[in-house]
Amino acid sequence: MTDTTSFWASWELFRDAALAGTLAGAMLGALGVYVLIRRMVFLSAALSQAASLGVATAFWAQIQGAPPWLATPTLGALGGTLLATGLAGLPDRSGRRDGWLGAIYLVGAAGTLAIGTKIVQELQDIESLLFGSGVAVLPDDFQVIAWLAFALGVVQLWLHRGLLHVSLDRDGARVQRLPVRFLDFVLVLSLAAAVSVSTRLLGALPVFAFMVLPALAALDLAQNPTQALVLSAFLGALAGLGGYWLAFSASLPVGAAQTLVAALLVLLARVGRVAGERAFAWHQHRARGPLQHPAHDHGPECGHDAVAHGDHVDYLVDGKLHHPHDGHCDDHGHP
Amino acid sequence: MLMQIHELAVGYQGRAILPRLTLQVEPGQLWAVIGPNGAGKSTFLRTILDLQPPLSGTIVRGEGAIGYVPQRSEVDPAVPQRVIDLVRMGVERGWRVLDPLAARRNPAIEAAMRDTDVAELARTQWRRLSEGQKQRALLAQALAGEPKLLVLDEPTSAMDMHAEAGIFAVLERLRDERHLGIVVISHHLALLARYATHFLLLDKDERLALVGDRETVLRHPAFIERYGQVLDRGGRHD
Repeated sequence: MTDTTSFWASWELFRDAALAGTLAGAMLGALGVYVLIRRMVFLSAALSQAASLGVATAFWAQIQGAPPWLATPTLGALGGTLLATGLAGLPDRSGRRDGWLGAIYLVGAAGTLAIGTKIVQELQDIESLLFGSGVAVLPDDFQVIAWLAFALGVVQLWLHRGLLHVSLDRDGARVQRLPVRFLDFVLVLSLAAAVSVSTRLLGALPVFAFMVLPALAALDLAQNPTQALVLSAFLGALAGLGGYWLAFSASLPVGAAQTLVAALLVLLARVGRVAGERAFAWHQHRARGPLQHPAHDHGPECGHDAVAHGDHVDYLVDGKLHHPHDGHCDDHGHP
Repeated sequence: MLMQIHELAVGYQGRAILPRLTLQVEPGQLWAVIGPNGAGKSTFLRTILDLQPPLSGTIVRGEGAIGYVPQRSEVDPAVPQRVIDLVRMGVERGWRVLDPLAARRNPAIEAAMRDTDVAELARTQWRRLSEGQKQRALLAQALAGEPKLLVLDEPTSAMDMHAEAGIFAVLERLRDERHLGIVVISHHLALLARYATHFLLLDKDERLALVGDRETVLRHPAFIERYGQVLDRGGRHD
């Protein structure tokens, strides 16, 4: 029996876990587009570690006798994420915001490891929090992530225009009187909810990977930001499900497998992008053909401005870059 | 009246960086904001756009929207965006952006792209545009909101002379056809002397703010002392 056949034959065993990974990949993949556009990758890393610390703290609190309804891992993850979001959002005039985000990340990671040593009997394996090696998802947890994915999907359908506008052009959005603070709040709340629930189920590593890698691939392939959102959600879902298949086939930890599948998608997207750019340049070259050349050869004395263009020098003629070679000039576009 | 500025003090952390400014922008006027690098031009612009609060004084905005054209470097070339995507963003106003059923096809979009000669570039990616095309795409974005007042931050920086002159010709045409008021930061004195109707010369270091119509400012000793020779050579100032 092939790996794929036996994967589907065993589907009932880990269906909820695989679907939870798929939904988390889709949610975080879409939100990752905003994370990359706003250049806040470090924030997403810090949030995922803070969520894992929240989960570990909830388990520890249960051992210490806290009421189970209060010290649930999901509430712990949400608390950790919201606390980290609040700390990251504090006014900072020192200009070292990335340093503070690094501090949150480190406290989250070290705290999870430290508390993990105190709860190892209860949790079985703290590594599942950090690296996503867990494969079991309880039905209640699956329902939570399914409803959250549905809610965030509705929010995206409703608000993606405004969320993208504020992310792409903040000053322009303010001049156009868009509700910038409201949209910021919606995005941060979406991130906090998606990160905390996903970290509880999958672990910090795949959550961080889903927020960065699918969006990286999607931004390489998409024609516009809205398309990038849809594509990134699809690629995130693919990495979530494909990671389970790879983990099953190669006996790998699930979180690591999901991250590797997402990284492979980035690689494929980059190859596709480079191939597309080269095909475009070749097509343009063929379509333009040789330029009408002035009645002289270009050179230092020809009277046209020499302009550095990539790894060579072109000459500016009537607003266009002329690239002389082999007895004719190619059109290298506008400067 | 499109914008009335009275005794406006601009600056940071409670410290004014320029003398108080009083001026009024009317339809059909093109105001050139000039001065050396670090003179306070961008601070003034951000203040009148309500992107940072004034220290004192008043800014009264007339009816009609303001269109803002940022520097081209503000658009991230790593994000895939076609010209049409950029221009569509210009239509959004206020809480209307939350309306999922708001029509994406808007006559203002087509008019803005036609008036700035980017209609044929609608499906072209931002990163593949020339500098002049990028600037015209940003102009189209601002015009899509059907503004009465257009504010531009260094629209011709890092452009060759040919493209620079093209942008100012488009601005002049828009001013006449749409009866816009325009406020523009630029370093190209030769083009400004031809197209601007009013000047605002700023110099933070010398606490200078010279305001007036073209003839008044171009003949003012403070202007001639700084830029007389540059203007004679027909070039840019730093």
